[in-house]
Amino acid sequence: MCGSCGCGETGEHVHAHSSASRRILVEESLLAENERHARRLEASLRARGIDAIGLVGGPGAGKTTLLEATLVSLAEPGADAVVEGDCASDLDARRMAAVGARVTQVETGSLCHLDAHLVGHALEALDLEGVRRLWIENVGNLVCPAAFSCGEARRVVLISAAEGDDKPEKYPAILASAALMLITKSDLLPHVDFDVKRCLERVKQVAPRLPALVLSARTGEGMAEWLAWVRCGSARGEA
Amino acid sequence: MHEAKLCLELLRIAEEHRTRAGAGRITALRLQVGPLSGVSPSALARAFPICAAGTTADGALLRIDEASGRELRLADMEVI
Repeated sequence: MCGSCGCGETGEHVHAHSSASRRILVEESLLAENERHARRLEASLRARGIDAIGLVGGPGAGKTTLLEATLVSLAEPGADAVVEGDCASDLDARRMAAVGARVTQVETGSLCHLDAHLVGHALEALDLEGVRRLWIENVGNLVCPAAFSCGEARRVVLISAAEGDDKPEKYPAILASAALMLITKSDLLPHVDFDVKRCLERVKQVAPRLPALVLSARTGEGMAEWLAWVRCGSARGEA
Repeated sequence: MHEAKLCLELLRIAEEHRTRAGAGRITALRLQVGPLSGVSPSALARAFPICAAGTTADGALLRIDEASGRELRLADMEVI
């Protein structure tokens, strides 16, 4: 029996099973696997001339309503496809189908966000022939989607007037992941204590280079600027 | 919350490195978590022993160090 560790082996051997632990340097991100998936997905969409836009925001921020109004305004039949993420139901998918989009619904169950893997598989159910924009509407959540790219080329974060102007300060991580911020439901501004100026100052503090727009899908206020931003990316994708 | 999912990813990476090192068991893991990672260190700490049960990291010590920005990574680990 080996005297130093009590194993059955005799003679010289390496004590890999000895009680002396050793340290292994790892330096690996827990999100690296998802990032790899996301970059691959983004590249394959770009190669097909598809501009992938992610929408994130809390439940009720107005993601689906904005998307409905956007698709109606863009009025380009066959150009838009949508991946809808929700914990349960296909309510949003039906709303998208009603405005003529090709849509697939991901029911995440108890999972609080979409990730690149889920979106990649969701796309297997979508015919992307002729599609120029892919919309990825995340599960309503201002926290968890921050860490998980979904293969979108650019991400839009929505904060509605009803949610409060303090949200940028409270959820900085989601802003750090975005390319544009929208203050939605501007038609509610006269009725709530939401200070647009104060909100934008807070955005500047946590994400100094993040552009922001104020809009209402209901009244159409600010929609022209939003649609220009959407189209500008599509044009870039085609170039 | 997705901390359990991240714990499984943490265990997957750790297991890969344990196998590569030809070690038997993982006894400690050191994780670096930034404030913009969107992850709650306390929720991770609670989820870890549950996810690690029955694996080669069963009973391993999880140390969570504060990092900067969106960082969320397994820095190093101890094996025997």
